[in-house]
Amino acid sequence: MTLSTALIAVLLIGGAAGYLAFTRAKGLRGAGQRLNSLPVYHAIHAALWTALPALLFLALWLPLQHALVDQAVLASPAGQALPDFAMQRDAILGEAREIALGLRPAGFNPESAGLAPVYQATMARHSLAGGAVAILVALFGAFFALRRQGVDFRARLSVERWVMVLLVGASLIAILTTLGIVLSLLFESVLFFSKVNVGEFLFGTTWSPQTAIRADQAGSSGAFGSVPLFWGTIFIGAIIAMIVAIPLGLMSAIFLTQYAPSRVRAWLKPILEILAGVPTVVYGYFAALTVAPMVRDLGLAIGISSASSESALAAGLVMGIMIIPFVSSMADDSIAAVPQAMRDGSLALGATRSETIKKVVLPAALPGVVGGVLLAVSRAIGETMIVVMAAGLAANLTINPFESVTTVTTQIVQLLTGDQEFDSPKTLAAFALGLLLFIITLILNLIALRVVRKYREAYE
Amino acid sequence: MSSVAQSRWTDGSMHKRLAARYAAERRFRAFGFAAVAISVAFLAFLLITMLAKGMGGLDLAFLTGSDSTDPVRAGVWGALKGSFLTIIVTMALAFPIGVLAALYLEEFAPRNRWTDLIEVSINNLAAVPSIIFGLLGLAVFLNFMHLPRSAPLVGGLTLALMTMPVIVIAGRNAVQSVPPSIRDAALGVGASRMQVVFHHVLPLALPGVLTGTIIGMARALGETAPLLMIGMRAFIVAPPQGVTDPSSVLPVQIFLWSDEVDGAFVEKTSAAIIVLLVFMLAMNGLAIFLRNKFERRW
Repeated sequence: MTLSTALIAVLLIGGAAGYLAFTRAKGLRGAGQRLNSLPVYHAIHAALWTALPALLFLALWLPLQHALVDQAVLASPAGQALPDFAMQRDAILGEAREIALGLRPAGFNPESAGLAPVYQATMARHSLAGGAVAILVALFGAFFALRRQGVDFRARLSVERWVMVLLVGASLIAILTTLGIVLSLLFESVLFFSKVNVGEFLFGTTWSPQTAIRADQAGSSGAFGSVPLFWGTIFIGAIIAMIVAIPLGLMSAIFLTQYAPSRVRAWLKPILEILAGVPTVVYGYFAALTVAPMVRDLGLAIGISSASSESALAAGLVMGIMIIPFVSSMADDSIAAVPQAMRDGSLALGATRSETIKKVVLPAALPGVVGGVLLAVSRAIGETMIVVMAAGLAANLTINPFESVTTVTTQIVQLLTGDQEFDSPKTLAAFALGLLLFIITLILNLIALRVVRKYREAYE
Repeated sequence: MSSVAQSRWTDGSMHKRLAARYAAERRFRAFGFAAVAISVAFLAFLLITMLAKGMGGLDLAFLTGSDSTDPVRAGVWGALKGSFLTIIVTMALAFPIGVLAALYLEEFAPRNRWTDLIEVSINNLAAVPSIIFGLLGLAVFLNFMHLPRSAPLVGGLTLALMTMPVIVIAGRNAVQSVPPSIRDAALGVGASRMQVVFHHVLPLALPGVLTGTIIGMARALGETAPLLMIGMRAFIVAPPQGVTDPSSVLPVQIFLWSDEVDGAFVEKTSAAIIVLLVFMLAMNGLAIFLRNKFERRW
């Protein structure tokens, strides 16, 4: 019996308990008495008491079983014979697991084939035990719920308490996700920083993460100075992209809200939304296929011999265009929040529309616009596919937009998509970069959200 | 105000100033129009380029075939099926959780530090780079929970964490726009607070919630980076049969083909992009249609 059978059994028992409770409640009513709660609440109550504890148990058991099975297999005679070296042992164990689950026919290590039947048997034993306990829990819950039924039983209140727990639980998932991000990034980063100096990582200016296969090979240590990566990220995302996105986005918002007739606006706004909805991989492909060669030719034409076909400019331009709808909608919101009275006052004094916008509306909307721009920067520096496909891999510290630079997100992808052991500094470096990226975007987001919220309150 | 030169109507200087101001007005307006026009032109340029390069590769064999090293035989069906399975997992998780969280925050949550913390996390999560969610998925789902690599299940879980905040934010706006009189009337005839929320507020807010959900799903459908992190970039020929089979998804397939040296893959990549864009446009169109049809101004 696998755990999925147990899961289906639990759900079936839950449904049966619910149905039983429903007919019993109807029977009580049929006897001429007035129920405190409708039969359907009796049914939900019974089903919840049956299924939820059992499901909770299964959810907790699943990761636990994994650890228990590993332990039991290692303790078995076949497991005792495995090499002592932890990494190799884990690799063999992992292969045995995959063979046992039928995910692959054979492993690289010959030992794993012998271990697979042991693994399979242990796993079958453990899932049988776990499944049996889950079904027992479900049956016990059903018994308990059905025993409580009666004319005066307040099934609705009980159900509503459960639903409340569900509601709170759903909201807590956001906190758990944040916590999960922080903990997983921190955990791997601490491992990384036990191998690489924090100071070197934060302030070093050379980035070449190639670790050699043999220890005596030249350049085997690898250099993990992240400054060029962050420079590249800021250069593409916060400078070039913003030079494109801020004026165009702001002016689009002004044109759409202040000038465009409502029929034109009704057409143009969805088009801008489509621009925002185009997947980034499409932008990336377009940047690499069309924009990058054009930018390189332009660079060569104006006499920059080092113009690269993976230039910072091409990636930044396309990223800027991707961000336009975002800036535009943020600016739109903050312009709309400026009270009409301020606009009317300015127009009544004889100012033209553009003068009103430049001297009254924009200064009043500025905090909101700045908040929106900060959010846009945070989105641009976290953007991955455009830079992976259109920017380069060379970690240059340059201010020439026609040269190639690399970014944090490009390197994370590069480090994690090769075939390395998981514990090598190369893969761990990706998590350290991720942690830094998360912290930077977190700070930007918090400032921006605070600015936007404060500004909204100012006019409410 | 004395720094401004005095202009008189009599000697024509006022007319000159007025003309200059009106010219500035026209320039400003033209600049605004140009800004919108550039965005629209770029979109048109992108679409036309993709159509021109990809239309030739778009045939039945392409839509029903699977990945192959031979560009002639490479098709998109395996990746498309992977995308569907992933999105189903994402929706099954993100939609109920997002709606429940939105209802709690709008209708029940007391205003205290915990609620503030939840609110800040949700707003922040909506702006966290997607690649960070990929790192989370890699560390938690693959390395800690040992779920199968490259599987739609793991991709769906990761994308669900990413889209959930989007759905919560859209859901809260929709719930907020239901007028208090509805709640008061239901409470007045004796409904409990739960009944008010689930029998009256939620059905009225549902179109708005669905619009937000579809837009979130469209974003998840086009997402690439987090799925690269959890290993959905392997070369897989057989279309997945279930959510735990190794599989690719459409955007990742596009990314992989774009890396191929063989020039024939340019056509395949562009054709795959057309397929992806058709799905995105259909979903966004559905969202806009829902919004226009069911949105009520109270």
